[in-house]
Amino acid sequence: MFSNTSVSSLKKLMVALSVPLAMAYGNVSQAAQPLKIAYSDWPGFVAWQVAIDKGWFKEAGLDVKFEWFDYGASMDAFTAGKVDGVFVTNGDALVVGSGGAKNTMILITDYSNGNDMIIGKPGVKSIKDLKGKKVGTEVGIVDHLLLLDALQKNGMKESDVTIVNTKINDTPQALAAGDLTAVGTFEPSASQALKLVAGSKPIYTSAQSPGLIYDVLTVNPASLSNHKAEWSKLTPIWAKVVAYINDPKTQADAVKIMSARDGTTPQEYTKFLKGTRLLSVDEGKAAYVKADGLTSLYGSTANADAFNVKNAIYKAPQDINKYIDPLLYK
Amino acid sequence: MRFSSNVSSWFNVRQELSPERRKIVGWASFLLPILLWCAVSYVPFIWHPMVVVQQAGDVDYFQTDMLVTREVFDEEVANMQNDGKRLPEGKAANPIYLPAPHEVAKAFYTAFTTEPAQKEGLWLHQSLWQSIQVIFWGFFISSLIGVPLGILCGTYSVFSRLFEPFIEFFRYLPAPAFGALMVAILGIYDGPKIAIIVIGTFFQQVLIISNTTRKLDYSLLEAAMTLGTNKFKLLWHVVIPGILPDLYRDLRILLGWAWTYLIVAELIGTSSGITLFITQQARYQHFENVYAAIFIIGFIGLGSDLMLAWLGKRLFAWNKAVNKE
Repeated sequence: MFSNTSVSSLKKLMVALSVPLAMAYGNVSQAAQPLKIAYSDWPGFVAWQVAIDKGWFKEAGLDVKFEWFDYGASMDAFTAGKVDGVFVTNGDALVVGSGGAKNTMILITDYSNGNDMIIGKPGVKSIKDLKGKKVGTEVGIVDHLLLLDALQKNGMKESDVTIVNTKINDTPQALAAGDLTAVGTFEPSASQALKLVAGSKPIYTSAQSPGLIYDVLTVNPASLSNHKAEWSKLTPIWAKVVAYINDPKTQADAVKIMSARDGTTPQEYTKFLKGTRLLSVDEGKAAYVKADGLTSLYGSTANADAFNVKNAIYKAPQDINKYIDPLLYK
Repeated sequence: MRFSSNVSSWFNVRQELSPERRKIVGWASFLLPILLWCAVSYVPFIWHPMVVVQQAGDVDYFQTDMLVTREVFDEEVANMQNDGKRLPEGKAANPIYLPAPHEVAKAFYTAFTTEPAQKEGLWLHQSLWQSIQVIFWGFFISSLIGVPLGILCGTYSVFSRLFEPFIEFFRYLPAPAFGALMVAILGIYDGPKIAIIVIGTFFQQVLIISNTTRKLDYSLLEAAMTLGTNKFKLLWHVVIPGILPDLYRDLRILLGWAWTYLIVAELIGTSSGITLFITQQARYQHFENVYAAIFIIGFIGLGSDLMLAWLGKRLFAWNKAVNKE
């Protein structure tokens, strides 16, 4: 049917056409791939940029590639198995896992220490003032959890307020529009809300509830069991990162690196950093001790699990112990 | 009445304006929106619903450069007056979401000249190049399948019945909703982004091109068949040459269509391209940079379209409709 030449030119055409496809498919599964980690815009995650820019991974002989994502997109990529690890809150690690992408939390980067807040409009002085009022927050995510915690500590129930489902990015405008008495949101939206609505104030922040929301590196269990030695190399690097950021002598340089990743100014970034409590390796180790309260990752995750089930984010409670592995702290 | 005939000559139905008038009106189409934007930005009484605080006075929560709504500002002025305290001072301003033209013009320049703050960061023109590549491959792959399929559907009813009903259905589905699936199939880099452009463009493309093909004068086909052309040769020798100028114009319009999917496409997978720049700047409320970037997309789109129009005139010199543009 085909002459030889027409076959070979057909072949050439096929090759030419498959180039863009190959480009698109690129890097799916070749041998000796670097560990791929998805990170996004949160101070505890952006902190790793210091190690990237300083070349500390190479120094430690660790072949790892960090990919910059939107937070939601980073979870999608992990769920699809396109990255080996992802930075998320402990509650979201469960959400990802409940959908089938089981994962193992191996390192705590930080807990929110003020970056998450309930902001009341002018005149609202405390959580108690919210009784019978409308509060806007994104249902099912961390600030909803923060609001419930705030209500509980003030002897109130969820039914004492009307929760209006509001995207975190829209909370500043929603508060400014005037219908809502308060919003639950996190940085940088929180700062925007405070700026946009003159006289508004934070009435409860995550600083009043340390450990409610841990931020972690969670990884694919298969990758963890195949690359134990590589993943373990992250511990000393993280120790170096935390030291570099906390040391007053080097903090300015660290903040410069982090703000550059984020596209903002060092001044603006310093504020976000204050609302984040980075956990050193020793502090992380302490949080990896099994206990019930929020000082333990186990307790905090169990709390998040109950919250997720109650809000029908998933149906069946997750087995917390399978999600946490203290390997990196041994 | 010389004057009135002069005025009415601007409104001749379906007749080309003189070259001079064409030029004037063409510029006006850009000048009018810019003038409107200037008026809203620089004339305080047109809009300016906010007040930018210049002196906080004795209002405890006011700060210099803080934006407050006019009602809040007036209320605080009244409060301070009643209490006999120092009054705040401020100037009417627009919301931060609407920067003034000169701010955007400045951002336009600085966006290109600012060195990336990050060690391995990209210059703006490099980010733009990433985006242009995504568009190119998306449009190329879509056209590779969409153009032949559209022509087949427009020529043979059997293809039209086989493909068009489903395509009519699928074109309403939101392309970005396939993002997560595309990541699962194509990875996290440019693959899923290109796929979203393809999904967004392809289905419209088939329908538009089949429609264009159907509009080909049937007497041309009849004449060819009378002269003994068979049904399949007809496609190569009559249909395709016949629709080529219109096809070219369709593709120009569809390329613009592909651009509108860029922002949603680039939110999928790793953050990249011009969208990374826009979302990052918007998060920190540097809206002058956001608008500068949006306008750059407009310029690239318009520029490439003008270039293609120019090329079209040369390629299809015989075609009246193309030459009229």
